[in-house]
Amino acid sequence: MSTNPHSAGRSGLELSKFRNLPVILIVAGAIGAGLGVAASGKGVTQFAFSWLLAFMFALSLCMGGLFLVIVHHLFDASWSVPTRRLCEHLACLLAPTMLILFLPIAILAKTIYPWMRLTNPDHAVQSKYPLFTTPGYYIASAILFGIWWLYSNRLRYWSLRQDETGSADCTRRMRFFAASGVVLFALTLTLAAILWMKGLMSEWYSTMYGVTYFAASIWVTLPTVYVITLILQRTTVLGNLVKEKTYYMLGSLFLAFTVFWAYVNFSQYFIIWNANMPEETFWYVLREKGTWDVVGKYIIIFGHFFIPFVMLLRIDFKLKLATMLPLAAWAWAMHFVDLEFQIMPAVHPNTILTPGLLSDLGCVLLFTGVLMIVFIRSLNRHPLYPLKDPRIAEAMDVYVPPAAEVSVTPQGAK
Amino acid sequence: MPASYAILAEYETPAAVLHAAGKVRDAGYRHWDVFTPFPVHGMDGAMGIRNSKVGWFSFIGGCTGYTTGMLMIWFMNAYDYRIVIGGKPMFSPFAAFPPSYELTILFGAFGALLGMLFLNRLPRLHHPLLKNRRFAMATHDRFFVVIETSDPQYSEIETRQLLESLGSRHIEMVEE
Repeated sequence: MSTNPHSAGRSGLELSKFRNLPVILIVAGAIGAGLGVAASGKGVTQFAFSWLLAFMFALSLCMGGLFLVIVHHLFDASWSVPTRRLCEHLACLLAPTMLILFLPIAILAKTIYPWMRLTNPDHAVQSKYPLFTTPGYYIASAILFGIWWLYSNRLRYWSLRQDETGSADCTRRMRFFAASGVVLFALTLTLAAILWMKGLMSEWYSTMYGVTYFAASIWVTLPTVYVITLILQRTTVLGNLVKEKTYYMLGSLFLAFTVFWAYVNFSQYFIIWNANMPEETFWYVLREKGTWDVVGKYIIIFGHFFIPFVMLLRIDFKLKLATMLPLAAWAWAMHFVDLEFQIMPAVHPNTILTPGLLSDLGCVLLFTGVLMIVFIRSLNRHPLYPLKDPRIAEAMDVYVPPAAEVSVTPQGAK
Repeated sequence: MPASYAILAEYETPAAVLHAAGKVRDAGYRHWDVFTPFPVHGMDGAMGIRNSKVGWFSFIGGCTGYTTGMLMIWFMNAYDYRIVIGGKPMFSPFAAFPPSYELTILFGAFGALLGMLFLNRLPRLHHPLLKNRRFAMATHDRFFVVIETSDPQYSEIETRQLLESLGSRHIEMVEE
């Protein structure tokens, strides 16, 4: 099946025990979502919101992958060489996979976004024209996917080209896409968060919103990449390439983004709390009702920030499977709760504990299964790491003399 | 004749001193150190040095700072001199967080700095090695392994033989 020499002789991933996992996830997810939607009594509305939550969850991982690729090229780092290819695959899930998964949201947009249903849009919506108009919504969404497709695709294309040619030109081109991409990344991610998630309560203002979604996205991607790398290291040729420093750096960035996430979320809350203006505070007031209060004040502050923060302070914890694997699962759970907190008060104002929670979970499982299938197919189709990355030797802690030195010595010897 | 403080062995390359450090570690010495003109990667592992304890000092410092900040603001705003501002609660952890956070950083930094000085036994006015002329090369292009005579493993002959066998061209005793 495989055409490249580096994955030949290793019939894909040796994870035969888990071969059916994606399908199981999809089936279990669909059943969970179906039951949840039926039990919630809200029908299509519940389905639309659950789907949106799962979409934003998956989008976090894909955007995180794109960000890590961009950052790799911008910083010209060696520790991220082994994880680059899998991050490229993660980013490439943005289009067409995520675009297809976006279609239910596009179709059900009127069910999801109250501002789309207004016959006489109020000032808060009008001031956001032309973005918050129905055509504006679809055009902006199309542009977002267009930009993501272009950048994720080009970055992987030149990376794969370099596997064949080894040309430095490929690195230069990837750097061009990384440097221009980081600006577009920031703009598109912010726009996506505002358009698809903040738009649920369009009267609200917060200039921090994009960056909070960014921080949360990278935060959940880092342990995910950590675990994927770990699995690949134990099962594939990647094992020869990954050194401790890769895990250490991923762990350190995980710690950094734990703090960064807390910082931007606190800043958003604190500024709104201090300014005390009704058009801003209502968003948080709604989230102090019923069980949302417990979610916001305790689960998120302690679960999303404090526990990972304290655990990641220690160097050795960042390197141990026994601490990082549970922490990665915990990060997924916390990101899920965080997105619940962002999205669901719009449809369940009083409590997080509704049958809808089951359909939210189901949709996330379903998305995970679908993305896993595409991701594993990409992994099997291409070399597992950038074969001719300029820093590949450095990543492996091997010293290779510069070309000039090599060519001079044999001549002198002869 | 003054008492000996340590035996000093000079090496010419980072690789040699790295190798020597590993062997000295394996021989079971405890009161010893390596001096190089620049950081040598992998030296921590070669010397068998474990993670520094400074982190604990900054952690305790940070916790102290955070608690101090919260308690101070609670005492001033909600206990000692109560003023209603904007209808907000007398004490809220959210309002008190930024100053407490600043104090966390400040006390954390104090903890790190003082902890480092404490663990390094600094400041001190003099160190026997500074008298040694050869040792000044540690800031230039030479690499040194220094084993103190107070080490339980130390023996004038065997330690010297070990350091010689590891490729040192120049070995001398450092006076107290």
